[in-house]
Amino acid sequence: MAAHPPLSSAVVYRDPKAALRFLEEAFGFELTLLIEDADGNLAHSQMSWNGGVVMVGNEWTDQHRSPASIGGLMTQTVHIQIPEGEGTVDAHCERARKAGAVIVAEPETQFYGDRTYRCKDPEGHVWTVSQTVAATDPADWEAKTGLKTPVFRT
Amino acid sequence: MASRVVVALRVKATPERAFEAFTAEIGAWWRPNGLFAFTPREPGVLSFEDLGEAGRRLIETRAGGKVFEIGRVTVWEPGARLVVGWRQATFAPDMATEVEVTFEAVGDGETRVTVIHAGWDSVPQAHVARHGFPLAVFQMRHAEWWQALLKRLERHLA
Repeated sequence: MAAHPPLSSAVVYRDPKAALRFLEEAFGFELTLLIEDADGNLAHSQMSWNGGVVMVGNEWTDQHRSPASIGGLMTQTVHIQIPEGEGTVDAHCERARKAGAVIVAEPETQFYGDRTYRCKDPEGHVWTVSQTVAATDPADWEAKTGLKTPVFRT
Repeated sequence: MASRVVVALRVKATPERAFEAFTAEIGAWWRPNGLFAFTPREPGVLSFEDLGEAGRRLIETRAGGKVFEIGRVTVWEPGARLVVGWRQATFAPDMATEVEVTFEAVGDGETRVTVIHAGWDSVPQAHVARHGFPLAVFQMRHAEWWQALLKRLERHLA
């Protein structure tokens, strides 16, 4: 297991234990930490994937809500970047679909050289999944879309 | 024993080797933690002791040779699963925790080692072993300790 990375997301669920099962089945995340209270309720958990970490928790304050509790709204999405040579976006998408994810946008290669898809998990969180499949640079992006790229550091 | 702490880590070893390292070599990677001492005296070295027909037990042996029994082994499946009782010297008879360790092959010659430590809710918050911590805080600290220990096991196996 990698050390906890400097940035990670905490994702809120009404049923976090079901989310742990879904995230393992759909995306291959591995449970690395789970803490349960005296009633067996989830108090805290962490999953790991390729050195990244997500914390999976419940609606532990009035301000923490799953999309399932607020009409499907959300304020952030979590992004999965598949390293080159570690499977494909299309295979990832099929695995997620089989596990019950709702595919919001089917796999498609974008102008910036990544192939991506988006899906919703059972509580309505959107996950974006991407993999770089072609080398491009800001000049290509501008030629294809007219978008300017004022900041670009590699 | 409803409350649980679950910690998992992938190690580069077969399940058989990981089990051997966790049990026969526990003294090499285990390090004591002042918050979770087994006895009020100085800490010792951990080992699994084979008692023959009487089974096995996990013990802590202090420098002078004194032995404290942490718990009896109730499941011993080399390369797969281990369950052992886990008591501190100050526990009252109705307090008990239990540690289950599973070893699961996950491909590429790697093994997922999962530690499930259950039953800390049987030890009241006011008891000395809990240091006054609410259960969630205590279990978080304990989980962090298990994570550090499993990292040491990983390095031991490297």
